[in-house]
Order: sequence, then structure tokens, then C-alpha cells
Amino acid sequence: MAERAGGPAVGAWILVAGALLLLVVLPLVTLVANALADGAGPLATLASDTAIEAWRHSVLVAAAVTVLAVVGGVVGALVTERTDVRGRTLLRLGMVLPLLVPDFVAGFSWLQAYAPGGLTDDLAGVSLPWLAGPIGVVAVLAAGAVPLVYLVVASGLATRAEPELEQAARASGGGRLVAWRTVTIPLAAPSIAAAAALVMVTSMNAFAIPTLLGTPDGFVTMTTRIYRDLAFAADSEAFSRVLALSVLLAGSTLVVMGLADWLLPRATATRTGAPSSSAAGFRRGSWLPAAPLWLYLAVTTAVPLVAVLLTAVTRGIGLPPVPANWTLDHFGEALSSQFATAIGNTLLLAVLAATGALLLGALVAGLGRRHGGRTLGTAVSASFAVPGTVLAVAVLLAYGGLLRDTLWLVLIAYLAKFWALAHRPIGGAVDLMPSEPMHAARASGAGVTTATRTIMIPMLWSTLAAAWLLVFLFALHEVTMSVLLYGPGSQTMAVLILNLQQLGDPTVTAALAVMLTLLTLLAALPLLARRRLLRRLKWR
Amino acid sequence: MTRRLGPMAVLVLALSACGGVASASDPASAAGSETITLYTSTTQETVDALLAAFGEAHPDITVEVFRAPTGEINARIAAEQREGAVRGDVLWLSDPLSIQQYDADGLLREWTPTELDAVPEAYRTERFWGTRLLNVVLIHGADIDPAPVGWADLADPAYADSVAIIDPGFAGSAFGALGYFATSDEFGFDFYRDLAANGADQLSAPDEVVTGVAEGRYAAGITIETPAQAAVANGSPIEVVWPEPGAIAIYSPIAVFEDAANAAGAETFVDFILSEAGQTIIGDSGFQPIREGVEGPPPQGEQVAPDWPAIFGQSDELLEEYRSIFGG
Repeated sequence: MAERAGGPAVGAWILVAGALLLLVVLPLVTLVANALADGAGPLATLASDTAIEAWRHSVLVAAAVTVLAVVGGVVGALVTERTDVRGRTLLRLGMVLPLLVPDFVAGFSWLQAYAPGGLTDDLAGVSLPWLAGPIGVVAVLAAGAVPLVYLVVASGLATRAEPELEQAARASGGGRLVAWRTVTIPLAAPSIAAAAALVMVTSMNAFAIPTLLGTPDGFVTMTTRIYRDLAFAADSEAFSRVLALSVLLAGSTLVVMGLADWLLPRATATRTGAPSSSAAGFRRGSWLPAAPLWLYLAVTTAVPLVAVLLTAVTRGIGLPPVPANWTLDHFGEALSSQFATAIGNTLLLAVLAATGALLLGALVAGLGRRHGGRTLGTAVSASFAVPGTVLAVAVLLAYGGLLRDTLWLVLIAYLAKFWALAHRPIGGAVDLMPSEPMHAARASGAGVTTATRTIMIPMLWSTLAAAWLLVFLFALHEVTMSVLLYGPGSQTMAVLILNLQQLGDPTVTAALAVMLTLLTLLAALPLLARRRLLRRLKWR
Repeated sequence: MTRRLGPMAVLVLALSACGGVASASDPASAAGSETITLYTSTTQETVDALLAAFGEAHPDITVEVFRAPTGEINARIAAEQREGAVRGDVLWLSDPLSIQQYDADGLLREWTPTELDAVPEAYRTERFWGTRLLNVVLIHGADIDPAPVGWADLADPAYADSVAIIDPGFAGSAFGALGYFATSDEFGFDFYRDLAANGADQLSAPDEVVTGVAEGRYAAGITIETPAQAAVANGSPIEVVWPEPGAIAIYSPIAVFEDAANAAGAETFVDFILSEAGQTIIGDSGFQPIREGVEGPPPQGEQVAPDWPAIFGQSDELLEEYRSIFGG
């Protein structure tokens, strides 16, 4: 089979390698070359107080968020997967749902809910003055990262850790907590560590929440420093700093990834028994373990979203959010000429990015482990770790002269970033696929193309759909790269909302945030409605 | 050969999909139309209303808009200069000090608008012309007692830690106000020093000040009149004061870039903004038109302004000294 597949495989290999070169390697090389060509400038900036402060803030935020999110995610996963909690399905959904809220909407919604002058201040005179500042950045980022940890650990618990061993521990007289501590958590350690690395990297690269909650307080991270220097500073010193900090940010991320790879427990538990449902212990159908989780979800997600909705429908800023003051005017104001352009751009980019990333991801997956396909797959996965801010600066340097202010530029960045997002689930599904049907088709005389079309694609159909939707959703939310790359005519919804928010009128911002969140929920309905699709997305 | 078709088909598909991007982002490719690019810090609502009317009057010209705060426009122009050339055709800012820096660098085109004489002489130079007046006013919470009545009151201990001002590095209107306070005999930089000593907060945008005062986070603030009046109309609990000795009137200038790719289209656009039709729309959108005799929100009291030509060229020094007081 290998020799007959040589032709298309070589073609696919060249295509994938070429795309990787153009989308990721060339921009990054251009970035480093620019930083070096700038002479001593970037080096001097790296040693400056501004750069060191930004680096320290980024690392501290990432560390704090990782600790909080791991605790929250693991507790959530233990409750839904290892107790007989009532309303488990709903709780699982509730734990993942915050992933669908764009992170800048999440940051904005916390401000509307808990900042001085916000919803709880209006209703009960309670507010969190520290929300705009480092603590607020950590809190909101952690709340957003908990679902990620939850997803990874919950699927790890479902496939790796063995309920039988826990039952044995319980039967030998250990309490529930002893069983969790001695059996469940050690067995789930690989997925917990993987989740921690994932959160560490994403929070170090986070942009929207630090810019919403940190910048007004003067708390600057690497990503927000790069943004401010690129978008608001006109001097060449600021540009040197952009180059230097971009290289530093990429380097720091790579170090974290490398360390995680090196330290991550390699031994994975092999399942010995058949999958069985979770351990008993709580009275059947107890609400008890769910109560703190529901409270947590209410505080971190429900109340903030209600606050945004109320801001959007309340006539004037500073008026109490009671029905007498409600109006739909702000939604009308939100429908400016910019809105029409932005929503069109956003949908077009999301469809193109999802389709492009799916094709590229499928190509890499199709190469499988042969013909250096594995190396390419690893390279594609690694590209996901390149911070969006760095990728955007690199793409701007590499293609800005030619494509500045066009949607092309944004699309290149999206494809480079989201390729891995499509590749991983498809690659995972291909790995698990039985090879017999393909062999049978090929033995019966079908060519590779025919066999792929008639056997492989139908078998992978739901995975492909899920991967497409995943990229589509990420592209709808994307703001980190878009905000650095947009120009006249190529603004996206997320950029529009962020810019409006910075201009300081919360009512129209809230109306737009509500619309974008509804759009996301609508797009995600197929994922939520079909649990099979959701299962396919579980991060390996 | 058919076996090679797989990846090739994918490539063709990817390319044809991308074709959609080119046509979507490049309206100029449509037959018989031309495009101009406008860089502006003017309120979206005003820009939208003007574009709609301009589109009716000149259906052959498409206007691409980059609308952002003054600071962000400055950064964009700097980046474009680094890459070779400014890509905009028309520059429309909020204050004369910011645009004068570009004029000094030779970035603005010299020409004569059709209705030049309609613009009062104090509000124009040879390469940029005022389009409207932004009135920088004082606002305070409706329940604040005693209410501040003059600029100097903001340094009063009664409003300690409870005054919000706008950042001149971000908003052009704040830069214009800085030009007035810093160079006036009555205030000078001591005004800013007193505000800082009284615990005033520097926010970015004028709307942010309106929001902060409306939500009760600040007792009073300095902002521009239009968003403040819009908030009052929506029922927000704030009051707008034309302070002693007057609101600071800042003219919002427009110009054509020297390197404009479509200078003719750009001039048509500027002519339209200065025309009676354009000025009426500006008045309707809540700003005081530059042309006398065009309907718009009337001044509610005295207006003051610095001697603009006298402070042209001092922008950097003004901002630097301000930064030494308020940071940023």
C-alpha cells in the first residue's frame, strides 16, 4: 500500500510542508530577522524595566491562573465523573458552556457585574474595586480556564482512571477522599499535567482580559505591552520593544511547553476492566456536591452575563436596571455601518479559516505516521503554541507590505493559528480508526482517492464537522491577532467590540457583546445538541 | 494522474475560496468606482450620517474608514511611514495640535477648498480646515452638592480623589484642552499639578469620563459636550456645566494627505464636509458646525480657546510636561 500511495502522499506532503513554511515558518523567521537587524535596539529594550516588568507580570499571572484553574477543573471533574450527583448532564454542560463566551465579553461582563458602579453595586452596594487590576485579571482568566482543565481531566477520568481500583480502595476501608487521593488523582495525573501546561501557555498568551482589566490600572503584561506599543505608540523605540517582547514571549512559551513535555508523566494507566459508571457513596441523586459548583457557575458566568444584558437594555448609564428604564435602542445604535462590515468580515473569515484549517488538518492527518507525516503533525501542533500576539506581529512583518489592511492578512494568521485546532481531533480519530475497511477497499481495487472518499471520510464525518465548528467558533472569538492586523474595511466583530469598549460607552458595547455571544451559541448548537460531536472534541 | 488529483483539488479549492477575500476587501475592483480611505477620530454616528449623504451625492466614490482614537491613528501613520508611505487619503482629527504635527512633517497637501471662505479664519490654515467645534466642558453627578461651577473648582478638596480627566495621548480633545490650560495665564501647568495633588484620575476617552460620573464612581470630570448631552438625553444622572471662564472650544480639522492615492476624490470629500449640506449633518449629529448660520447645538455659555498658531510646534513639550505630572 505504501508504494502505491506514494504519488498523492508526496503531493500532500509538499502541500503541507509548503503551507507550514508560508503560514508559520516564514513569518517567524522574518520576525527574528527584524529583531536582529534592528541592532542593539531590541536587546537594550529587553533589559529595560518596562520589558522586565511586563515579562514578570505575564509569568506571575500564568502561574496563578494555572494553580486556580487546575484546582477548580479537577474538583469539577471529580464531582461530575466520580459522584452520583443529580443533574449530571446539565452540570457537565454548565462546566463547558463558559468556553463559548468570548473572553473579552467575559472580562467586560465581570466589570459590568462586579466593578464599582456595576450590577451588584447598584443592587446591593457591593463591588470589587480590585477587579480592574492584577487580581481581577487572574480571577477572570482562571474562571475561563477552569472549563479547559475540566474537559481534559473529565475525559481523562472517563478513559484512564479506573473506577474498579477506587472501589477496591473503598472496599478496603478507605474513605472517598482517601480513594481520590491515593487512586483517582494519581491515575489522572497525566491529564492534569497536560491541562496545567495548556492553561499555563494560554494564560501567558492571553490578551483580551489583561487589556480590559489590567491596562486601566497600569498593570501591563507582555501581550498588552506589545499591543499598546504597536497600536498607540508612534516612536521607533516602541517598535523595537514590540520586536524584542515578541521574541521574548515566544521564547517563554516554548520554554513552558518544553518543560511540560519533559516533565509530563509518560506512564499512562492501562485500563484493565470494562468501563463502568462512577463510584457510589453519596446518596443516589444527591444535589449536595453540585451546589458549590452551581454557585460557582452563577458567580463566574451567569451573573456577569445577566449584567451585560441589563447594561444593553438600560436606557442611560447610571440608571437602575429596572424595567421602567429598559429600551432596545442600543441594539439599534449598534447597527452602524461598521457593524455591517464587521459582521460580514467575521463570518467570511470564520468560514474560510474553518474550511482552510480543516483541509490542511485533514491533509496532515491523512499523511498519518508515514512519509515524515508525524514530524509535520508535531510541527503543526507546536505552531498552536506560538502566541497569537507574536504570530500577528510576525505575519504583519512578513506580509504587511503586500497585504496590509486586507482580510488576507488576517486569514493567514487565522490559518496559522487554527490549523492545529483542526488537525488534533482529526489526527486522533484517524489513529483510532480500524484499518480493515480501507484495506478491504484498496484490495478490491479502489485507488487511494476513491477509498478515502468512500470509506475514510464517511467514517470521520462527525469528527470533521466537529473540527470545522471548533475552528469556526475560535475564529468568531478571535481578537488577539485581529486587533493588531485590521485596517480600514477589515475590522471584525471582536475588534469592533474591543474598540468600542475602550472608547468607554458601555451600553452599545454591551449590545454588541450580547449579539456576538448569541451568534456563538447559535453556531455551537449542533455541538451541544449532539453529544457525540462534543465527545469527539475532547482534547487528547 | 487521478491519484494526484486529491491534493491538487484541495489547492484549487483553497485558492478559489481565498478569491472571495480579495473581492470582499477591495471594492475598488468593481467596475466604474473609485475608493478613498479616511482616517478619522470623529464619532461613528457623525461619520455614518456623513457617509450616507456623501454616497448619495457621489455614488461613484466609495469611502473606506479607519476610525480610531487620535493616539491609535498616530501609531498607524507612523507604522505606514516605516513601511514606505501613508496609505490614507483624508485625515480628519479632533484637534489642531495633532494634525499640525503632520503638517510640519510635510504630510499634508496644499490646495484650496471650494468654499474656503465659509470657514472662519481662526479655524483654518493653508493645509487643514476646521469642520466642527468640540466643546470641552465640566460634568458632575446630579446629586453632587455643592456642584462645581468653574475649572478651578476641580482642584477643591471637596472633590478629592473623585475627579476624572481625559488622556491627551489618547484623545485629541484632551490634547486641545491641554493646549488651552497650559498656555493660559489663569491656569498654566499648575492647574494639572493641583488636579494631580487632589487625586484626580486620568482616564482614556471622553465617554469613559461620562460613564464614570454617571455610575457615581467620580463626582465630576472633564469631557466633551456631545457624549455628555447624549447621556443626559438618555436619562443618565449627570449635569453638564459650561464652566468659568468658559468651555474650551477645539476645532476639529480635516486635510488631504500629500501622498493621497486619490487626491481628487479626497478633495471632493473634504469639499462635501465643508459644504452647507455636510455641515448640516454635523450639526444634526450633535456637534457645533464650523460654518456660521448652520443649525447645530448652540453654545450654552462662554467659549475660550488658546491662540492655536502660537502653540503650534510646542506639542511635544506640552505633552512631555503633562506626562511628568500625570504619567501615562
